Amino acid sequence: MSNWQAFQQGHLDPDFAFREHIFAQFRQAAQRQSQAGPMNSSTATAAPKHAFEVRLGDTKTPKNDINALILDYLTMEGYPGAAANFSKEANLAPQQEDPSIKTRQEIQHAIHSGDIETAITALNDLDPDILDKDPELHFSLLRLQLVELIRQCYGGDIGPALDFATQQVAPRASMNEQFRIDLERAMSLLFFDHDSKLSPELQALLSSDLRRKTATKVNEAVLVRQDQRREAAIRALVRMRAWAESSARSSKKKDLPSDLDIGLNGENAVEFQELTETNGHEPMITT
Amino acid sequence: MTNPYQQSQQSQHGAAASNFTRRTSYASIVSGSQQQQQQQQQQQTATRSSALGFSHILDPNPDTELDTHNPYYPELDRLTPHYPNFTRNNIPTFGGAGMDMDAGYSSRNQNENGHNNNNTNSGPWPPPARLGSNFPMSRAFDMFLNKEPLSFPDAADADNATHKGTGAGANPFLSGGTTTNFLAPSYLRGTAYLTKLEEQHRARILAERERETGVPGAKTQARAGGLATNGNSHHTLSPMSGKVHAGGGSHRGVAFDVVEKSALSQGLAEEEVSPLPSRWNKDDREPSLELSGDGYEVTFTGRMSNDHEASAVRADHHMNPACGIYYFEITVLNKKKSSSDDMPPIAIGFSSQTAALNRAPGWEPESWGYHGDDGNCFAAQNVGKAYGPKFGPKDTVGCLINFRLGQAFFTKNGRELKVAFRDINFKDVKAGQLFPMVGLKKTGDHIWANFGQQPFMFDVDNYMRKQQKMIEDEINRIDTRILAPDLSETELVQQLVLQFLQHDGYVETARAFAEEIHAEKSALRLSSKEQVKGINIKDDEDAHNRQKIRRAILEGAIDLAMRYTEECYPNVLKENEQVYFRLRCRKFIEMIRKEAEINIKLEGRNRQLEEQRRKQGFGDNDEEMQDEWDDEREFYLEQLGKLSEEALVYGQELRAEFKNDPRKETAKYLDEIFSLIAYPNPLQVPEVSHLMDAKGRVAVAEELNSAILTSLGKSSRAALENVYAQTSVLLEDLAKDGGPGAFVTLEGIFKQIPPSQLL
Repeated sequence: MSNWQAFQQGHLDPDFAFREHIFAQFRQAAQRQSQAGPMNSSTATAAPKHAFEVRLGDTKTPKNDINALILDYLTMEGYPGAAANFSKEANLAPQQEDPSIKTRQEIQHAIHSGDIETAITALNDLDPDILDKDPELHFSLLRLQLVELIRQCYGGDIGPALDFATQQVAPRASMNEQFRIDLERAMSLLFFDHDSKLSPELQALLSSDLRRKTATKVNEAVLVRQDQRREAAIRALVRMRAWAESSARSSKKKDLPSDLDIGLNGENAVEFQELTETNGHEPMITT
Repeated sequence: MTNPYQQSQQSQHGAAASNFTRRTSYASIVSGSQQQQQQQQQQQTATRSSALGFSHILDPNPDTELDTHNPYYPELDRLTPHYPNFTRNNIPTFGGAGMDMDAGYSSRNQNENGHNNNNTNSGPWPPPARLGSNFPMSRAFDMFLNKEPLSFPDAADADNATHKGTGAGANPFLSGGTTTNFLAPSYLRGTAYLTKLEEQHRARILAERERETGVPGAKTQARAGGLATNGNSHHTLSPMSGKVHAGGGSHRGVAFDVVEKSALSQGLAEEEVSPLPSRWNKDDREPSLELSGDGYEVTFTGRMSNDHEASAVRADHHMNPACGIYYFEITVLNKKKSSSDDMPPIAIGFSSQTAALNRAPGWEPESWGYHGDDGNCFAAQNVGKAYGPKFGPKDTVGCLINFRLGQAFFTKNGRELKVAFRDINFKDVKAGQLFPMVGLKKTGDHIWANFGQQPFMFDVDNYMRKQQKMIEDEINRIDTRILAPDLSETELVQQLVLQFLQHDGYVETARAFAEEIHAEKSALRLSSKEQVKGINIKDDEDAHNRQKIRRAILEGAIDLAMRYTEECYPNVLKENEQVYFRLRCRKFIEMIRKEAEINIKLEGRNRQLEEQRRKQGFGDNDEEMQDEWDDEREFYLEQLGKLSEEALVYGQELRAEFKNDPRKETAKYLDEIFSLIAYPNPLQVPEVSHLMDAKGRVAVAEELNSAILTSLGKSSRAALENVYAQTSVLLEDLAKDGGPGAFVTLEGIFKQIPPSQLL
């Protein structure tokens, strides 16, 4: 017995019955509509989406642009192997006939490994003027070299580090107040234990981030010297995305989902796995 | 006769053959003209292969004949006189001593050639010094507004135009036509707002065109229908299309970029964007004001108003906050010289439609203004505050509103004055709309407004750049950890790229990249005892299959790709009709493309030979060379014949297959690609060559890839694509109401990347 019939037979409060009757009709209409709707059922059955999500779905992401972005990144940040493979797989002409991509990668690799001497030599071969024209860059490299020396002689003979500091770094440090502060800070590493009691500033000097940052600085300097852009466009995109969300949230009125996931953690997330030193590169790729 | 090919052709096909090109042949099917009807039978089968090969090569300018018969572009002729004749001669000048103002205006209509003269620098209007000689004046002068929408002439006009001969070969879309009557102030170029406006403008012209031709795409349909059904097209031919020479219709394809809209504007969905103020509104003025000069000039013609009254006029459209900033200038044209204590009571400002028109801007609620007679500025009240210098005859005064800051300031003769109004509540005024406004009061008050149709006195481009720079700097300072708290920017970018490579099935690249990242991380270890995590590249069969299919499409082997897809994912094409349709169409395009490539080769070879012959003169080896070439040509022609026949057959199949498809876009797209067949070498015709662009392969390949991913239950978008789409939508939100999103675009990022080329 439907509510309507129940009402007609006097079993129900009229307001309730009327409401229910109307609602039932709505439901039926809605059902009919969804059945008559498009056959691609993927949208029909999905839970109601946030308006923002719908707009996202309607936004095209041109693959030509994305491909260009990827190739640009691989080329500029010095991943020659990946860049070459990508050109092949995406059927793109290599972005630049730039032999420096390989050299830049070698320099970055040397800096990452803490082998600053090799990096400076390679840099001078590539562009003899670059360090002379950019004292700050030169000083960054020398200071990193000093830190690496201090790291090496930690707990042993500090002679080489001291020699390097007095002969190579100190003369330059006198030119510039900031250089002097940086040198002093680096030198103080000689007098403290390299453990968790170190001040955060000194710990930062010992972190691998310093190598990465210095390497990035050098790479950008080389690119600028070659009249290229300083950094890959993808970085600007990622920053613009972060900025756009934080601006939209701080202006409050915008109708945003509470969590705007970029989807790095889904089924397609990058998987890392433990490797032991002995099995090197091969097992990194598993099938 | 020195040209051997003409001879040989004549010998093969008779004299008539050398004169008709492929285009005429197809047009003839459509038009059914007598002379050509006789040839129809032949054309349906053999003509393409016989005549197409070189007849167009012989014709140095195959377009001439066509375009004089083309009734579709007489608007070139028709439009020209419509251009407001703002050549430099007509612009009021103030530098020349004793220059009679009226002379400048009365000469307005003298120059019938309109915009062609824009490029000359000889006019009395000196470019502002800061612009230098390289300032792209010509573009600035291009953007005249046309009050009348683009329209097609009626048939009689078409005939006239035909006889006069319209600008041969010129395409209104390509030759800057898109911007010809589109207002594009320099400081807004490249912004999302202006890009969207431009697209709307283009769409409107196209819609107009379609309405004029009756059936959407009637011309091309008729032609393509003729192709398939020997002239008995099932489409009704409009009287217009009966006259169409093949090759005309598909010009519109340029704006019909069905594959991808610009990255910029697509986020703006289908919402219409309000146009820029473009002239004074004759329906929104106090009656004693008279408009002239295409709606740029305002003259006071009434009696002297009371002290508390003035006569005001608003512009035709409001200033959209999505511009970020809006700027316009007025120049005072009063003839009577004024001393500084006797400046005319002219006021410049802005107001909502609430503000009464018999009051000067600034005196009324929801109105703001800067008054020339006292140099005061007024913000919605009778009492002004001391602001800037007075202004009067020969002065140019500008008004800039910065919607992001809610501020406005004025400029005088190119110089920026201090901020006049802060905290302008532009969202709270009537309808949220503010209009440029000017108020005049005395007989002889006369101004001319520049809404961006001319270069401004004030360097507003530079102001805009500074605003943009400010936002860019803010963006560069952002910490990306809000996107992924555990990752540095470098790591985040690495993961985004790696995830994209895996998601899209770039297996080898992902592998190489993972190795390089691993090497980098190993190097960064501070001690060799530290362990470095490797990256697990999922090397599944699907990734390989998808890459295999993509590869095939990117190389133009559509059949192969479809076979692979059938083998690996038998349901995908059945369930994704649109993708299937695109693949089938792409195959047709690839066939035409191949044909066109051979044609180009043939042409090149021909030219080379000519050249050689010209250099050497007739020599002993001439005959030998000729024979060699004859053989080669024979070979090419045979190939071409086969190809074009195949393309025809395939085209007919395609049309039959999708004949009953109810979607308008399907028919439209088919029409577009079938139009390719009308060109001897569509690769060299910019109006249609975009249809054959190799980028189209990428689009098709990625559509199929997405369909496969979806069928596998995977997200069709990689994280990097999410980032892109989210940014696009967020920016759109941030641009509304004059937010900071008006000053940056995704396009701005992508255009830095040097264009990569498809191999």
